[in-house]
Amino acid sequence: MSSFYLTNLVLVQATITGLLLALSIQVPIRMGVFSFAGAGAYGFGCYAGAILVLDYQMAAVPTIVITGLLAGLVVLVVGLLIAKLNGLYLAMATVAFCLIISVVAINGGELTGGSTGRYGVISDFTMGHMFAIGAIALVLVALSERGKLGRRVDAVREDPELAASMGINVRRYRLVAFAVSGVLGGVAGAMNILVRSAVSPLDIGFPLIVLALTMIIVGGSLSWKGAVIGALIFTWLPDLLAVVGEWQELIYGIIVAIAAVLLPRGLYGVYVDTKRSVLRRRRQEATDKATAQTPPPTSTGDTTDIDRLAPEMEAQR
Amino acid sequence: MSTPNTAETLPTTGPAGGAPASPGGVAVLECDDVCVHFGGVKAVDGISLQLLPDTIHGIIGPNGSGKSTLIGAITRLTKLTSGRLLFDGEEYQSSPASVVARKRVARTFQTVRLLPDLTVLENIQLGADGRTHDEGPRPNLLKRLLGKQISPAVGEAIERTNLQGFESFYPSELSYGTQRRVEIARAISTGPRLLLLDEPTAGMNQTERAEISALLQSLRTGGLSQLLVEHDVQMMIDTCDHVFAMNFGKLIAEGRPKDVVQSPQVQEAYLGRKWRDHA
Ligand SMILES: Nc1ncnc2c1ncn2[C@@H]1O[C@H](COP(=O)(O)OP(=O)(O)O)[C@@H](O)[C@H]1O
Ligand SMILES: [Mg+2]
Repeated sequence: MSSFYLTNLVLVQATITGLLLALSIQVPIRMGVFSFAGAGAYGFGCYAGAILVLDYQMAAVPTIVITGLLAGLVVLVVGLLIAKLNGLYLAMATVAFCLIISVVAINGGELTGGSTGRYGVISDFTMGHMFAIGAIALVLVALSERGKLGRRVDAVREDPELAASMGINVRRYRLVAFAVSGVLGGVAGAMNILVRSAVSPLDIGFPLIVLALTMIIVGGSLSWKGAVIGALIFTWLPDLLAVVGEWQELIYGIIVAIAAVLLPRGLYGVYVDTKRSVLRRRRQEATDKATAQTPPPTSTGDTTDIDRLAPEMEAQR
Repeated sequence: MSTPNTAETLPTTGPAGGAPASPGGVAVLECDDVCVHFGGVKAVDGISLQLLPDTIHGIIGPNGSGKSTLIGAITRLTKLTSGRLLFDGEEYQSSPASVVARKRVARTFQTVRLLPDLTVLENIQLGADGRTHDEGPRPNLLKRLLGKQISPAVGEAIERTNLQGFESFYPSELSYGTQRRVEIARAISTGPRLLLLDEPTAGMNQTERAEISALLQSLRTGGLSQLLVEHDVQMMIDTCDHVFAMNFGKLIAEGRPKDVVQSPQVQEAYLGRKWRDHA
């Protein structure tokens, strides 16, 4: 192993858990559901993972699987309770869910360890597990952005009424978004406790929402690639910024503000927009060449000719 | 129809042109005393009508007469205040919109509603994605997962709507008329049994309108029932087999397009003297 990898192992781990946390909030946003319940699921996952390992001597993989499923179930129930809400109200209800998880963590007695939390969580978890689970999650999320499912998710977000008129059960998609967000958040939390070995109420709650949102706002909210970019930046940036000492927070804040104002679709959105405008320009150049070579259509208005040229004329608009 | 219809029913001797409406054929869709009230506004107020297979139906009526609301009610996107809806003789007024769509009821909206981040091809494929009635082997799972699969119905819809060459364009790059054609293609690619079109040619020029009219007439086969809302009376006469006239949420006349247009109620309500002189 390279020494870079070993000295930065903590950051590598934080990148993976951060990525899954970001995805847990990005997946519902892609379906037009502004739910932060993924952050609550992360907190839930930290504690559930600790409890399963410490109190039930469970091995790493079953701990992660069971925690993910439980978190998915819990967040699905939250989704069922607040399915009727929308926009800001839904977002607030999910923030409340995150706060409830924190309150339970503080007041959970021996189970959660009160304000000290749980510590000494040692298991057979390896970096191999971590990379494999991260990769599986990423591939599944990436597949959900492609093909039929990707199109239908787009429709549910952009125009639920249109989606329904295309035969899409919008309510079911939204509920699945909650469940998936719970699983991703729960798995991220469980992996976090397995590499960190300790959790306290201070580690979970509102700051997680801010972190995840920062990642997907700067990286890009509509693709897993945006989440990857965001997770990389906001895991490594604070470390790099350590050089500037107390100015760190300020620089961090400025970056987020600039991204929010100038890049509404995030860094990945900049890439997509650039690609599209290049495509458009190429199309234009191609048709310019084509029109230069072919004689201009006669003014007698040969309709078939106009029909054939329609796409080209459109491109020049 | 179970309730007495106050609308004047004009003689129908079959569709104006083309195949006769299947005599005694069962209606694809039936509205029975459908009401949609928004508070005090009676947008749709006791409409009963039948839509037949292989037939192009039209609705005319002044702005605000309830045409779009009726289409909303039929597709279940708009809540009914009362009344019954039947598809193939089966009541469905309490089914959600997505279930109705899966019965192969497709629609376009009065305003363009394309997904901005999907290409023309993908927007149309979105319609074909909902098809459940196709027979034959399904494309393999990997191809489907990777999104490489384009349904044959999409190619056909593109051809019918003359959209060849636009496949990789994004909606924002297209003229309004072309965007509307993409919407029609999306609706067609679902393989509908009932197609509802809410002012599909708004913003189009005469040539484009004639093309759409020809397209709809070419679809008048295989049992498809169509309901077209348009303001262009001449187009309605040229396109439709059967026309309903609405005013203030009620049916005021129905029958052959020419007869409906010339009926005194419709003249009063909608067309004014101009049309009578013209005809
Ligand atoms: N969602 C709604 N809420 C309240 N009133 C509505 C709503 N939709 C339509 N209306 C009213 O219902 C009437 C019929 O509208 P609409 O069906 O759009 O007419 P048309 O399509 O024939 O122009 C109008 O008076 C309109 O203002
Ligand atoms: Mg209307």
